[in-house]
Amino acid sequence: MNKQNTLTLVETLLIDYANGTLPLALEVLVETHISMNPASAKSIRMLLQLGGALLENSEPISLSEGSFEKLMAEIDSGFDKDREVYNNVSNDNKLLPLPLRNYAQDIDSPKSWKRIGIGLSEQAINFGDDFGSTKLYKISPGCSVPSHSHDGNEVTLVLSGGFTDEYGTYGPGDISIQETGAVHKPVADEDGECIVLAVNEGPIVLTGPVGRLLNMLIK
Amino acid sequence: MNFRVVEELISSLDMSMGSGFSNDNQNSLSEWDTCLLKIGKYRDKSAFKSLYEHFAPRLKSFLLRIGSDESAAEEICQETMIMVWRRAETYNPESAGASTWIFTIARNKRIDKLRKDSRPLPNINDPLFYQKPIDKSDDILQRTEEEKKIKNVLKNLPPEQAKLILSAYYDDKSHRKIAEETNLPLGTVKSRIRLAINRLRTQLEDFEG
Repeated sequence: MNKQNTLTLVETLLIDYANGTLPLALEVLVETHISMNPASAKSIRMLLQLGGALLENSEPISLSEGSFEKLMAEIDSGFDKDREVYNNVSNDNKLLPLPLRNYAQDIDSPKSWKRIGIGLSEQAINFGDDFGSTKLYKISPGCSVPSHSHDGNEVTLVLSGGFTDEYGTYGPGDISIQETGAVHKPVADEDGECIVLAVNEGPIVLTGPVGRLLNMLIK
Repeated sequence: MNFRVVEELISSLDMSMGSGFSNDNQNSLSEWDTCLLKIGKYRDKSAFKSLYEHFAPRLKSFLLRIGSDESAAEEICQETMIMVWRRAETYNPESAGASTWIFTIARNKRIDKLRKDSRPLPNINDPLFYQKPIDKSDDILQRTEEEKKIKNVLKNLPPEQAKLILSAYYDDKSHRKIAEETNLPLGTVKSRIRLAINRLRTQLEDFEG
């Protein structure tokens, strides 16, 4: 997909991230992307501030009678189910951007990778939902992913190293988007291993959220 | 998060109780930013009550406007405010104003509700969401100025653009509803929202003062 369409889609992904409507796999991909890309981080910051301003400007509507008292009673009961979740960040994978660490298996361990070609391995990531499929790919320097097409729309984020395909050159933090049926042959840069995160919305084409996002490009 | 800065703010907050505000940082914080800091530091329930009375009805109204029904809106409101109380000590005025911070928690709570499965959701204090200024300029000043600018630009938007901007925060169901009502493909609806946001970004860049 050309650069302009890719930019357009990334902008839409950022808006959908801010309003919280992305499936988990794409939410994690966007978080990882903004941890590597200051311009996108700035966009998200603006969108969250805008959300705050819209909240602040809203005409107040009363909650039902006794809501505050009910809330204080719950607070005083002291049960905090969220604490554990918030404190539970993995210590593995220190080389991966933070948002991904909890989901990927240890990337330094060969056991976490499945070899699928010459200089090419993959690791499936399970987000515990039925949305498409998400994989990490590790491509050795100068090696390529055999020319392939896509069953579903695919969003790929470069985590380290870089690759080049028919549409452009991508480095750490860059996003590349392949529409259903698009054919490409990514080749890893010569100067190092390339690791990418690829979220594919899967065989159910143009019905999932990504497909709907992509609709705007093919309308 | 920078605890030192927060400590300093709190102590200037203490001092300012009698003698008026002297610290520059202090001056740029809103009433609700300092209220949140107080709640975090002193677990002050009466400060929390004022914060609740200000934000909960606005949050409910906002959630209703972006697509939640009455009962979901109230539930998300309550869960958000509980989180505000429990996490107030982690509130960092360098990264966000009170309304942005509360909006972010509400966003996370709305997602939790849809997914029914909690994940370690990002905290807006995470450096992920704000780039430290490269020069040594003041983070709080930069942040409050960004937020002030957004408020000012929002105030002067033509109604049509303001409506589009709000719809950026609609849930999926509401986006489909607009598409149906206007007889436009969903992609076109989303595209218009994106363009409105881009226009706003340009307006922010051009905005002086």
